[in-house]
Amino acid sequence: MIRLSKSYWLTNVRLENGFTYQENETINGTATQIYNVKVENGKIASIILKNEPITDGIPQHDVNGLLMIPSFKEMHIHIDKTYYGGPWKACMPAYNGVRTRIEEEQILLPQLLPTAKERAEKMLDLLLSYGSTHVRTHCNVDPVIGLKNLEATIEALEGYKDKLSYEIVAFPQHGLLRSNSVGLIKEAMRNGANFVGGVDPATIDENIERSLETIMDIAVESNAGIDVHLHDPDHLGLFTMQRLAALTEEAGWQGRVTVSHASGLADLSVVEATSIAERFAELGISITSTVPIFRTIPIPLLHEKGVKVELGNDSLTDHWSPFGMGDNLEKVGRLAERFRMIEEKSLANSLQFITGGKTPLNNKGEKVWPQIGDEANIVLVEASCSAEAVARRAKRAAVIFRGNIVSGSISTLETTNI
Amino acid sequence: MEQSYWLLNVTLDDGFIFEDGKIIGTKTELYNLYINNGVIDTIQLAEIPIDSTKTSVHDAGNLLALPAFKEMHNHLDKTYLGLPWKSCIPAANLIERLNLEAKELAELASTGQHRAEQMLQLLLKGGATHVRTHVNIDPYIGLKNLEEIQKALETFEGKMTHEIVAFPQHGLLRTNSSSLMRQAMNEGATIVGGLDPGGVDLNIEASLHEMMDIAVEFNADIDIHIHDPGHLGFYTIQKLTSLIEDARWNNRVSLSHAFALGDVPIEKSREMASILANLGVSVMSTVPINRVMPPVDLLHDYGVHVALGCDGFYDSWSPYGTGDMLEKVGRLAERYKWIDEYSLSQSLQFITGGVKTLDKDGKRLWPNVGDEASMVLVEASCSAEAVARRVNRNAVISHGRLAYGGLVVESALK
Repeated sequence: MIRLSKSYWLTNVRLENGFTYQENETINGTATQIYNVKVENGKIASIILKNEPITDGIPQHDVNGLLMIPSFKEMHIHIDKTYYGGPWKACMPAYNGVRTRIEEEQILLPQLLPTAKERAEKMLDLLLSYGSTHVRTHCNVDPVIGLKNLEATIEALEGYKDKLSYEIVAFPQHGLLRSNSVGLIKEAMRNGANFVGGVDPATIDENIERSLETIMDIAVESNAGIDVHLHDPDHLGLFTMQRLAALTEEAGWQGRVTVSHASGLADLSVVEATSIAERFAELGISITSTVPIFRTIPIPLLHEKGVKVELGNDSLTDHWSPFGMGDNLEKVGRLAERFRMIEEKSLANSLQFITGGKTPLNNKGEKVWPQIGDEANIVLVEASCSAEAVARRAKRAAVIFRGNIVSGSISTLETTNI
Repeated sequence: MEQSYWLLNVTLDDGFIFEDGKIIGTKTELYNLYINNGVIDTIQLAEIPIDSTKTSVHDAGNLLALPAFKEMHNHLDKTYLGLPWKSCIPAANLIERLNLEAKELAELASTGQHRAEQMLQLLLKGGATHVRTHVNIDPYIGLKNLEEIQKALETFEGKMTHEIVAFPQHGLLRTNSSSLMRQAMNEGATIVGGLDPGGVDLNIEASLHEMMDIAVEFNADIDIHIHDPGHLGFYTIQKLTSLIEDARWNNRVSLSHAFALGDVPIEKSREMASILANLGVSVMSTVPINRVMPPVDLLHDYGVHVALGCDGFYDSWSPYGTGDMLEKVGRLAERYKWIDEYSLSQSLQFITGGVKTLDKDGKRLWPNVGDEASMVLVEASCSAEAVARRVNRNAVISHGRLAYGGLVVESALK
């Protein structure tokens, strides 16, 4: 990490100013201008046009016209469970679906434990290098590994606390009820986990109502948010989501619940998907997707109805999947490609799916980011605008978290390394 | 690079590791390869001493060798690469998109060579040493794009081989492009292209006949874009197969995109797959994720040759694309959930013209003595890893010549 002085100027920063239009009012590009941006105590303190004089004597770092965009959020990953950083290993065929994978974990988790922290760190380095400065990680809490993965995860993340912010979901991978993990999850919540996790109350726990109620009880007891893995298909998934929504409302847990994957949404009619989307929007239940190629959920529809949708890599090579690059810009590029967002505005807007909702321009093309007082969580990219950054998977030159360079470098910035 | 040299310390896939009859990993060995006049002349274990007195020696530094990749569907003439950023203008349908393109063609014409070279460099960097490019032949641009693309391809002579498809993008019949197409075939295009005889030309039979006539006249292969969906595309393919039979154009026709094969009921896909396999019709796919794709797994099982391409990318049609064939095949593997060692290792064949390193028993299929010395040296422990992890490519060798990247020269050995 390159710790910069408490206040400094980034000079020659490219910021987006608005869209450009052709005669018939179709948007055909993005207008940008070069600014000088002052960072103070980890926050954006001043934004002035390049030709306005800088009168103070604080250090200046020239970024040579690189585009500044908000840094990314990796909202669904398992940093405790990866082969990344170790030797290559393909997956074995899963003859019994998810259950095969859970069986594999009986042997695999203890095997991986000694290198868990090291592998998690390598993964965090990779995520940072691509521009993510926030990570929500699910962490196995199960009878096989107990709280040991949680300990390794916390240890790894604590070492990165100046480079990124994080949330930890206590994840009963082997089934909250199925593997009698209620006590363990509660213990995890007392020992550093911030979210109560869950997985397929029907298929894994075989008791939808009791599984969901237990999740909610633990969340209320620990005053924590919820993030449930729901792979269950079609109406089974929909039903589970409807029940989760009802329990969320009952408990007054609005704005504190996330459904990960929500795969069932991929199988529903527009009418059915719309009704659950409206319900989720009303209750502030968000959805996290990995944008699977094969069964993609209707993300534009969810977004349009007001559901907060965020993206994650899930895994980067583990016993579930050998794929995954850890690049959230690639991830949102896939989302855009999948849903045919090919023109300037939809490409530019798509960035919000990986920034916690932030985009430099709002829907009307007005400049809304960065604002004075915003945390200086920034990616400097080699692109002329956000739309290009998404479509062309722009190179990331430097990543800044709370004012410090946490990945990459800019030649002039290196000189102030302390 | 010299005509003949030893390439030392090359890792090759050498077998599978089995456990209880199941493949759990890949066995590799370190080899030295002797390259002579663009051909692999000797393959021997690295531990066997070589006679390095008479020839130069390069060290692959234990990198894994993969057969070089083939980009089988591209539009070198269309890309914006090398120009300032430009996103796509919305278009309600294909005809509107074509009209937008027509307006832009003249504007782009003069930079054709430059843009195509950017694309070729990107493809080469990713490991492709062969490209099949479609080139617009239409009333707006005439043969201008063909000329520009030929110049660009010439720049890459010795590094990349190529095929040029004369492509009537604005409709063979719709824009009366038959005579232009014939001119293109006289001027260096090697394959006759075509496009949606239904959706674009509005006369399936006449369009297919005209395309076939040109192919027969020039004794050329065919590569036709069929985007028409569902049973419309399926009917078109059916019609085409009967023309292929009549003209005995077996093993000479490719269907690009062929979405329809994925839209129809699976029994029909199967039926057509066996017809295509019998006629030696191949299918080129860009592995689209925004619609149903042709069932590559099924087609392959039936013996249809399937190859991948990046399509035209970063152009007026689509702003995406990286030109990386390894990324493309990784996407295919992800799409079909080929996540185990064996499936991943076999998937490589979709970007190598059918070449794979190992058969199902783990017997080494590539490289063999006498093979063209075209390979990619990558940072991977085996080809399965290369596909799944989209590994770094350090060097690309085309017909024995270093076309991209670098190797260590071991002059000390001499």
